[in-house]
Amino acid sequence: MPDGRHEPEQAIAGTSMGGTMDLGVDEAETLEQRPDGAGGPGPEGKPRSLWSDAWRDLRRNPVFIISALVILFLVFISLWPSAITSGSPLKCDLSKAQQGSQSGHPFGFDGQGCDVYTRTVYGARTSVAVGVLATLGVAVLGSVLGALAGFFGGVGDSVLSRITDVFFAIPVVLGGLVLLSVITSNTVWPVIGFIVLLGWPQLSRIARGSVITAKQNDYVQAARALGASNSRLVLRHIAPNAIAPVIVVATIALGTYIALEATLSYLGVGLKPPSVSWGIDISAASPYIRNAPHALLWPSGALAITVLAFIMLGDAVRDALDPKLR
Amino acid sequence: MLLEVRDLHVEFHTRDGVARAVNGVSYGVDAGETLAVLGESGSGKSVTAQAVMGILDVPPGRITGGEVVFQGRDLLKLKEDERRRVRGAEMAMIFQDALSSLNPVLSVGDQLGEMFTVHRGMSRKDARAKAIELMDRVRIPAARERVRQYPHQFSGGMRQRIMIAMALALEPALIIADEPTTALDVTVQAQVMELLAELQREYRMGLILITHDLGVVADVADRIAVMYAGRIVESAPVHDIYKAPAHPYTRGLLESIPRLDQKGQELYAIKGLPPNLMNIPPGCAFHPRCPLARDVCRTDEPPLYEVSSTRGSACHFWRECLDG
Repeated sequence: MPDGRHEPEQAIAGTSMGGTMDLGVDEAETLEQRPDGAGGPGPEGKPRSLWSDAWRDLRRNPVFIISALVILFLVFISLWPSAITSGSPLKCDLSKAQQGSQSGHPFGFDGQGCDVYTRTVYGARTSVAVGVLATLGVAVLGSVLGALAGFFGGVGDSVLSRITDVFFAIPVVLGGLVLLSVITSNTVWPVIGFIVLLGWPQLSRIARGSVITAKQNDYVQAARALGASNSRLVLRHIAPNAIAPVIVVATIALGTYIALEATLSYLGVGLKPPSVSWGIDISAASPYIRNAPHALLWPSGALAITVLAFIMLGDAVRDALDPKLR
Repeated sequence: MLLEVRDLHVEFHTRDGVARAVNGVSYGVDAGETLAVLGESGSGKSVTAQAVMGILDVPPGRITGGEVVFQGRDLLKLKEDERRRVRGAEMAMIFQDALSSLNPVLSVGDQLGEMFTVHRGMSRKDARAKAIELMDRVRIPAARERVRQYPHQFSGGMRQRIMIAMALALEPALIIADEPTTALDVTVQAQVMELLAELQREYRMGLILITHDLGVVADVADRIAVMYAGRIVESAPVHDIYKAPAHPYTRGLLESIPRLDQKGQELYAIKGLPPNLMNIPPGCAFHPRCPLARDVCRTDEPPLYEVSSTRGSACHFWRECLDG
């Protein structure tokens, strides 16, 4: 407690937490307690970080729970597809081509007589791998480069901006045709690498912009005036305030990357059969949409649900990181 | 002297040319003393403070000359790393708008505690206890519960108290307050100013109060330095200035305070506009707006004439001004 010079109406500082509170005009307006504030853990109140606060919020957000469960399920079947299907995606019987749902084959058969259910389950692996890994690569590379350029500015920033301009000028599909056609490997890695190569400038530009905005905030200046180092400024004060647009764009991009893999596979430069991917299946089924709509519906539905789940997750995370929305 | 600024020059290099924001400012503060720096927007008062703190944006800003001697060391000669250790621990700054000066995504407890974890290497738990203690000290009610809240959950006055608590956290020898009450309601202004003055007395800190509010100054300041176009035009103990200004610009400022006995009359305003810092008039920078201006003012820049042992005025005709 400080000296005893308190004004009578303010002499309440430091009273026990259960005590009656006498408030001056100025403080009354904002004394809504958060529901967990008063009944919190112990009188000291455990120090919480931004991330633990965000996590506490997320656990109670149904949007987050649903999307996280969907994503966990997708990751699970990507790792162990045989857990929910006993068939093989490559075992096809032309005599059953385009047949509808039947016992043991709930999704029916596609144009080649392959089981759509099994192929949809196995296709998750490619789509999830491409979507998640490409987005991670793009987000890490793009946001680190963009944040550094935005924070330090100067020559490095100018050089990076021109490089991103160059990458923006490359048409994605044409670039894919040129670059990927020379690669013979039939794995997801060249596709992921290609997406990262062309995708990072988008995120770096977003990250740079939001870092520049966050950097100009008074609290960054204030933190500097109170002795914060550059790394602390970036990690504690700038990054948490600049990350929201990056998360949103990254989750939306994730959907487009899964679709891009499908596009590239359709053009024959992404994955090639016998690889299994939703993109391959969607393009293979599209000519038969009138005769066998189910063969198009299931992989497209899986793709749509996956993309939606990631976008919802991104949205929930962004909201949780903004204390004003709590 | 705790802090002595000597002949400081700061320039900003912009696309349109060089803006000379600070042109040879000298002032000093002792421990326990309050120096009020007065001036219009663009007079260089905040830039001087930023140069003292070492938070000037470089580029476009550049310190082109002078010394900032703090506790016997010239801060401008220190390495950035050493300067950073001085900031926050030995000198701290309070900003105008406390809402934008607090990080919206960190709880106030985290931000207060950061002072101790960064500078003192305390554990997060100890820092949290210290944060509560500080919030008590600046009289934030229910500190224990509110320590976990975020800046937007506090009112303007409470937020400014938190800024004050952050600045005070490590008991610095010097505090620079850049218009600390401008963004607050009048009633809250008085409370916050009183708190600041009281804590300053208690810790015997030097306080540089940057303001354009002459009402605030009269109550708390010991000395006043009036700035115009990046120079100090008058420097004097507070009572001398209110009694009889020795510079026409100070006189103009005092006359522009609205007064009850002038109800119905037009408010006084110093005619003209502050000079463009890229093109400061030759001679005395104030001459185009000065009622006392003569030919010599257009050609010769007035030095800071000694009016008395504690008082200086940069006006060729300070005697005339003093006599009214």
